[in-house]
Amino acid sequence: MSAIRHPISGTPPRRIGTLVDKTALLAGPGLLYLAVLYAVPLLLLLLQSFRSDDGGFTLVAYTSFFGDTYNLEVLARTLRVAFLTTLLSLAVAYPTAIAMNRAKGIWLTVFLVALVLPMSLGVVVKAFAWSILFRSNGALNQTMESLGLIDAPIRMLFTETALVIGAANVFLPFMVLPIYAVLRQQDDALQHAAASLGASPVFRFFHVSLPLTLPGIVAGAAFVFSLSISMYVIPSLIVGETQQTLPMLIARSFLYLRNEQLGSSISAILLIIAIAVVLFSSWLAARLGAKE
Amino acid sequence: MPADEGDVVLGPRNITNLPAHKRNISVVFQNYALFPHLTVAENVGFGLKARGHGKKQIEGPVLDALRLVRMESYKDKPIAGLSGGQQQRIAVARALVVKPDLLLLDEPFSALDRKLRETMQVELKSLLRDSGITAVFVTHDQEEALGVSDRIAVMNAGRIEQFADPSTLYARPQTPFVMDFVGLSLRLNGAAKAAGEGRSVVETRHGVVRSDVGLAPGKAAIVGVRPELVRAFSSVDAPAPQAGRNRLEVVLEDVMVLGSKTVLHGRCEEPDRLICELPGIKAGFARGQQVVFEWAVEDTLAYEAAA
Repeated sequence: MSAIRHPISGTPPRRIGTLVDKTALLAGPGLLYLAVLYAVPLLLLLLQSFRSDDGGFTLVAYTSFFGDTYNLEVLARTLRVAFLTTLLSLAVAYPTAIAMNRAKGIWLTVFLVALVLPMSLGVVVKAFAWSILFRSNGALNQTMESLGLIDAPIRMLFTETALVIGAANVFLPFMVLPIYAVLRQQDDALQHAAASLGASPVFRFFHVSLPLTLPGIVAGAAFVFSLSISMYVIPSLIVGETQQTLPMLIARSFLYLRNEQLGSSISAILLIIAIAVVLFSSWLAARLGAKE
Repeated sequence: MPADEGDVVLGPRNITNLPAHKRNISVVFQNYALFPHLTVAENVGFGLKARGHGKKQIEGPVLDALRLVRMESYKDKPIAGLSGGQQQRIAVARALVVKPDLLLLDEPFSALDRKLRETMQVELKSLLRDSGITAVFVTHDQEEALGVSDRIAVMNAGRIEQFADPSTLYARPQTPFVMDFVGLSLRLNGAAKAAGEGRSVVETRHGVVRSDVGLAPGKAAIVGVRPELVRAFSSVDAPAPQAGRNRLEVVLEDVMVLGSKTVLHGRCEEPDRLICELPGIKAGFARGQQVVFEWAVEDTLAYEAAA
């Protein structure tokens, strides 16, 4: 190798140029930004969760968190809501993504706008719009009562069901778009080939379409699950203090209880769950994509 | 897409309105359309699995099919690592293993390079002969069509112009479209003059061409001949005109030496084409040279030109 010289200058090419692609430097500002505004504060927060009042190391925040059944209830609710939200958004998103993949021209634009526009509306506006629809004297209850479907107003706000429905609505684009992206790459000829080999539509779905869209489903599920376990505004507006989730507990610890140690320890727990989700989904995606 | 009119009948079955998965017609696609998430063996076994066969019933036929296309050592490999030719072999095995009533090959080799395409044509032909499965082979490559088929339907704007075996199609094309589409030919536009029964004389821009095809006198006509049936002489050594042979005086526009043949192009205007193919490398011809093209009257093709 040392015999190779640059054909013009006669000097060997600079090592840095061969080892690191110079375009990788473009990631520099982004990395710096993440380090300063994300990694460092998070690390400080984590350290704080292990620091006792006299400055020593302690696990008391964690033992007391897991020792309290109320906290465990909140943890369970957070995971349950996130799981159900992921499931519901998948159920709505999959057919939507298929329809989008078939849509052409103006219809595709309509789909994309309908999907992305509500994101710019903000959760607050949505949540108050829902409360008009769902509250006890709201439009939905009044309509059902006047139709004789129900005798008394049904409590729809402030329930876990309402939270799951609301969250799935807000996070829907994060499930639709990855699935749509995978569907778009799929060759239509695969469906024709499967049909010509005698595969019924149901068989084609389970043995061709579904396996090929799994990477998109995994990505979408990871997005929605991560967003769901960390959501704060949506549960605050929909269920309030009655049905707390981990992020609400964190906010309460910092804002009302002024217990920074407790707040940062719950943050750490939330972070570990999020990391587990990301690692699991990337492992799953790699496994599913192994044959390609 | 529903049919506007007519029926599609396969053997005893009317399959016009049958959904694709019930037709028992296997298709081999131009882009192979193999399932990227399955292995080679799983791809080949797909049709049997879709028909509800168990693992054990699938294994044997899949191995046989892979052996047929000489890919058995790849059975557990993923699709992504295979070359185009290997992928198309798998696609053919996948289509054959279900024992279809009909095999439809939709330009199957057009994505392959020429040498590989020719190898695959030979392989496919013997595969189809051995398996006894009827195949419809769609192609734009005339040589491929002539080489692979027992019978060829030449289609023009949705209509069949001629349906015949390759030699008949090449030697006796029924319409000027077939003559132009299948292989090259020397062809000239002209006008038919009065001639005897079952014969014709066509006056063209480059000379008179006689044929053994009867044409109505006074009508516009097209005459042609396959270029390998044409002989060429420099004007000096040209033999004397003889009965039973057509003869044209031509100025050479181009001489192309292709190794296995030498192609002479005569000077003419579209849509006329003056072309002669001589076997091997022929010296002694040059651009601008005065030559004589001549060929047998019985080899001459003649048609009434469409109005």
